[in-house]
Amino acid sequence: MVLTDGAAIPAAPFFWYAAGFTFGRSGATVWAMPLPVIAHLDADAFFVSVEQACDPSLRGKKVAVGGRQRGIIASASYEARACGVYTPMATKLALQVCPDLILVSHTSGRYGQFSRRMFDLCGTLTPFVERSSIDEGYLDLSPCGCGTEAELVNRARGLQRRLWEELQIPVSLGLAANKLVAAIASKLLKPRGFVVVPPGTEAEFLAPLSVGVLPGIGKKSEAKLKAQGLTAVQDLLALNEEGWYALFGHSWRDIQAMARGEDDRPLKLEHDDAKSYSQQETFPHDVSDFAEIERIAKRMIDELMPKIRADGKKVRTMTVKVRYPGMEDSVAGRSLTEATDLEAPFYPLVELLLRRAWAKRRPLRLVSVRFSGVDDRPAQLEMFAQTEEKKRRLAAVLDKLNDRGRKAVVQHGHQLGKTTAD
Amino acid sequence: MKFKINRDHFSNGLAQVLNVVGTKAAMPILSNVLIEAEKDQISLTTTNLDLGIRCKIKAEVKETGAVTLPVKRLATIVRELPNIDVAFDASPGHQVKLASGGSQFRIMGIGREEFPQLPPTDGDKTFALDQAELAAMLRSVAYAQSTDETRYILNGVYFSFRDGKLALVATDGRRLALVSKEMPVPAASAGSIILPAKTVSELLHLLDKGEKLNVAFNERRAAFQIDTGKEANASGLVDSIYLFSKVVEGNYPNYQQVVPKETHQRIKLERELFLQCVHRAALVTSEKSNSVRIKLSPNLLEITASSPDFGESHESMAISYSGPELQVAFNPQFLMDPLRALTKDEVFFELKDEVSPGVFKTLESFVCVIMPVRLS
Repeated sequence: MVLTDGAAIPAAPFFWYAAGFTFGRSGATVWAMPLPVIAHLDADAFFVSVEQACDPSLRGKKVAVGGRQRGIIASASYEARACGVYTPMATKLALQVCPDLILVSHTSGRYGQFSRRMFDLCGTLTPFVERSSIDEGYLDLSPCGCGTEAELVNRARGLQRRLWEELQIPVSLGLAANKLVAAIASKLLKPRGFVVVPPGTEAEFLAPLSVGVLPGIGKKSEAKLKAQGLTAVQDLLALNEEGWYALFGHSWRDIQAMARGEDDRPLKLEHDDAKSYSQQETFPHDVSDFAEIERIAKRMIDELMPKIRADGKKVRTMTVKVRYPGMEDSVAGRSLTEATDLEAPFYPLVELLLRRAWAKRRPLRLVSVRFSGVDDRPAQLEMFAQTEEKKRRLAAVLDKLNDRGRKAVVQHGHQLGKTTAD
Repeated sequence: MKFKINRDHFSNGLAQVLNVVGTKAAMPILSNVLIEAEKDQISLTTTNLDLGIRCKIKAEVKETGAVTLPVKRLATIVRELPNIDVAFDASPGHQVKLASGGSQFRIMGIGREEFPQLPPTDGDKTFALDQAELAAMLRSVAYAQSTDETRYILNGVYFSFRDGKLALVATDGRRLALVSKEMPVPAASAGSIILPAKTVSELLHLLDKGEKLNVAFNERRAAFQIDTGKEANASGLVDSIYLFSKVVEGNYPNYQQVVPKETHQRIKLERELFLQCVHRAALVTSEKSNSVRIKLSPNLLEITASSPDFGESHESMAISYSGPELQVAFNPQFLMDPLRALTKDEVFFELKDEVSPGVFKTLESFVCVIMPVRLS
């Protein structure tokens, strides 16, 4: 079955079109030939690139952004990576494997600013931009009105060039018919990669790649699969249903669809604002005192909530994460019935969540508090909540005195037991 | 059991009780109507255990008895019957034969033994009220009831018989509507109930049948006996319609404390015109930015709204106002609900500042307090 006559297509049922995708590649005349309109943009070593853009003398050197002492490497230049520095890696270890590493500490606010400028530039190409993280995003290029793949590639190349010329941020791009394949393609030839996967060739494209490229197959699963001789995606595709089920359980069909390069997730376009507020602290020494951890978590609430109030937002959900010395994490979360911008409703959750998350009798290396379920609708005032209003007025005064959580002029009593070391 | 009945009377009777059915799969009988034939009338009863309704219709009863039938299906069938005369014949096995003109139906029923008993109609406290007046009062507050199940206390209309008046109150914590009328309340009969939202809506359906109604209540339940009056006779209804309901148990919040005691800036508004302006202004709002901004300046009222994704609206109205300039934002629905429910041509609207409630008032002791949306 070869489609040679475009005019025959409109009368045919939908699946003919689908079939046409594949056959269209072989040079047959098919109108509206599908194009790889979904681009995945992935900035290369973003934090380091931003620091290099601000201080060009850092270019071409072994640079990493990260915390000193017991911090971790958040981003490493490709030169540093060549020496074995990876993310996330303990800074101490990174300095061991690469003693001449130039460590730049995290510059607050700078990355968000560059990220915004980067996505603003993307916005000049298409209005359909999904920011999936600070340095990654999806673009739907269909509004560009490109008729051919070459034209589309030209536009995308142009964006890559402009991002470098105007912001000095190197990025890798992957172009495909869907988000899954575009994301895999963008990561294939970093840095400054540019990979196009023509529609219809997704499965072919993925077949020789390592199983680890598939989302959901992490380092551990990858090792497990490789131990069974399943190295490449094509090895998985050769399995029968029982084989799939044995490996992945009930979700095997989803993973199989991924392995074939099938994905129909639409771009998520709304939201520019923060989706969550979080803070974490890595301790200089592992901590095993519950009260101490509880105090730290409560302090994080006290420091995050002024930011939430300053943004005019409310939050509903609190998640507490703890990390054991072996980098093993455990989390617990809980939602309130209504979003709030006050600290008090979350205090009672701290002990509860901490006990749930910190189940092992081992000291902790890190604790983090995260607020999500952000509600940014203008506040509808309540009638039977006068005390609530009073608390909010009090909070506003405290925020002013404490410089929005940056100073601790007036503190809650629960912070009093703290040692004065910091 | 055997009777002859006018199709339209039967249909009308079923329509009165149709809405009150249970949805519990464990009790299929709750989706049935209990039909009891006595002397020259039949009575129709439905209940969902929280609420029950009984009405009576005239019929030519040849043999007394009782049976229950699925009410929704029965009502549809009766409505569609070809002839005005309907013959109803129930066999002892709870099968019912329904004949009208050339059509015949045989419907499977359930015995009356399984049908729950309605509570007695007598309560501790009873009052006689005027149907039209109560209906108007209920309409003027019912929209403010809360639908948030976590605030179940507010899922109803509060009836307070006290201090020589009946006050009806509804609130969802963001707006509160209050209407009252003076009436003799003997000290021994003073009391209050929270009537559940579902009962309120059923009651509103029933309050156009005649002149008077009686309400009897105690702290657990309320019963309404609604006169069907003379005009209702044409529809076949006889005697009274009875509505029995559980009440919401708990303490209603102290609503008096949220009604502002002082008046700051008061303006008189043409109700319809203001309603139209708010409605139009609100056309650009979205779920995310669901507020309209009211601005008062000398002899001018402006209503504006905007949503970042869509656009802006601006409405202006000439008013008589000489106070200071002030701005306040509200959920447009909260403004429109009382304006729609009222019938007078003019309303008073009182404002103070951007964080104080707006208050609608009429001369008929109606008050609606609306909390603002904080201006960003």
